[in-house]
Parts: sequence; structure tokens; C-alpha cells
Amino acid sequence: MSEEELIAEAEHLNAWQRHKFMVLVGLTIALSLVLVSVSLWLYNTSGAAQLDLSRPGYQSVRDQVGQDTDFEGYASSGVIDEAALDEFRKLYDEQLERATAVESFGGSVMSNEALGIDAPTAQTQ
Amino acid sequence: MNRLLVALSFFAVLLFGAVASQAVHAQSALSEQHLQRIRQNCVTAQTALNQLHASDALLRVNRGQLYENISTKLMAPLNSRIALNRHEGLKLAATTLEYDRQTDVFRSSYKDYEESMSRLLQINCAEQPAEFYESVQETREKRQRLHEDTETLTMLLRAYKTEFEDFSSDFGGGAE
Repeated sequence: MSEEELIAEAEHLNAWQRHKFMVLVGLTIALSLVLVSVSLWLYNTSGAAQLDLSRPGYQSVRDQVGQDTDFEGYASSGVIDEAALDEFRKLYDEQLERATAVESFGGSVMSNEALGIDAPTAQTQ
Repeated sequence: MNRLLVALSFFAVLLFGAVASQAVHAQSALSEQHLQRIRQNCVTAQTALNQLHASDALLRVNRGQLYENISTKLMAPLNSRIALNRHEGLKLAATTLEYDRQTDVFRSSYKDYEESMSRLLQINCAEQPAEFYESVQETREKRQRLHEDTETLTMLLRAYKTEFEDFSSDFGGGAE
């Protein structure tokens, strides 16, 4: 098909037929924006954002995340005897010690005094 | 049309009044010296809060892993093993259920706390000291709730341990 024939054929096309490729590109971009918005909404509302240490501001603590992937735990099948109970006791005591050794989310670090925003006393005025 | 305008004006006045009284309340609750002190220590407070925000996120991740591991890799397998061997383990199973429910509460409380902390960190305490102070109080209350949730989890972990020892002694007694 020659160039003249293509031009002649294009003159008979309506607006939709002439612009359908651009419409397709536009719809694809619009759809991707909707999907990105939905995924960001899910990311924020599901609580995943709070656990995401790859966000800016967490560089200092990122490498301190504990790796517990090698903890195999206790076998869910097998006999119950003294040895099995002792094995469980040992594993549980280790984890219990880790969970109770340090106080979590204590209030003193966020007190007015710690932040330096407590009401000034008469002496400091 | 006139009625609609009157109603809209009425709501606008009400809304403005509520916002204005809130701002006045925030300002009037603190003395000028106190506001000045907050402005002076603004940078120090924000630096401390930023560090706390980061270390809390780390603590949340590590604690979350630990709580999850205890439930899925210790409690659930033991309960399953007890059931498979046809022993009585209802108390242990009930405590595990309560523990799992409490870990969900912990996750939800942390989300509330983190959102509150993020809002707090966006307030310019040099320009809005009263709002900053109120936001600190609100975040502190949410942190306290979170702390109580971790205490409840610790209590449930100890309860499970006690019930396990009871089961163990009953089992030993039965075997003799």
C-alpha cells in the first residue's frame, strides 16, 4: 500500500478511529494510577507502612532487626513424655526471657521533663 | 433558597466557633512562660521524638516477630501435640487464643500510636507550641495503652508457663 493510499484511507476515518491508540495509552495510565492509589491506601491502612523499615528515617535502625528465621520451634507431632516436656520448657523459657527482659514502650522517655517541655517552675522563671 | 443560605450560615458560624474555641483553649491552657519554654526546647524535643520514632519501629518489628514465634512455633505446636496424644490441654489452648487476640490488640495499638507520632512530628513546635504540647499528650496516652498491651502479653506468657507446669506435674504424677 502506497503512502498516498494510506493518506486517502485516513481521511475517511472518524475521530475515534484516528485517536484510539492515544485513548488506549490514556486509559492505561489512568488505570495504573487507580491501582497505585489502591495499593498505597492498602499499604497505609493495613499497618504494613508502620513495619516498613526501608522508609527514610529508619537507616540507623535497619540493620538491627533480629533474624529469627533459624528458630525452628517445637515439633507439633510426637509423643508426650518427660523428655518432650523438658525440651518445650527449655525453648519456652528462652523466648519468655527475651519477651520479659526489657520493658517495652515505657512512658518515661516521652515525659515532659525528658522532652524539655515541662512547665517552668518559679525558680527557673 | 433563603432558608438554605440561613442554614449554611448557621453551620459556618458553629464550625468557626468550634475551631476558634479549640484554638483559644489550646493557647489558654498553657502560660506564656511555658509556651516560651516549648519554643526554646523545640529542636531538642523534635530530635528526641525522631529518635524515639525510629527505635520504636525497630522494637515493634522485633517484638512482633518474637510474639508471633511464641504463638506459632511454641504454643500452637504444643497444644496440637497434647491434643494428638489425647491429653487434657484446654487451659493451654484457651490461653493461646487469648494471647493471639491480645497480639492483634497490640498491633492495632501500635498502628494508632505510630499514626499519632507521625502527626506530632509534622507539627512545627516553634510556631505552634500549644498544638505540639497537646499532640505530645495525646501520643503519650497512646504509648501508655501500647505499654499496657505489652504488659498484658507478658502476663499471658507467664500464665501459659504456669499452666504448662501444672500440665507437666499432672502428667508426671499420672505417669508414676
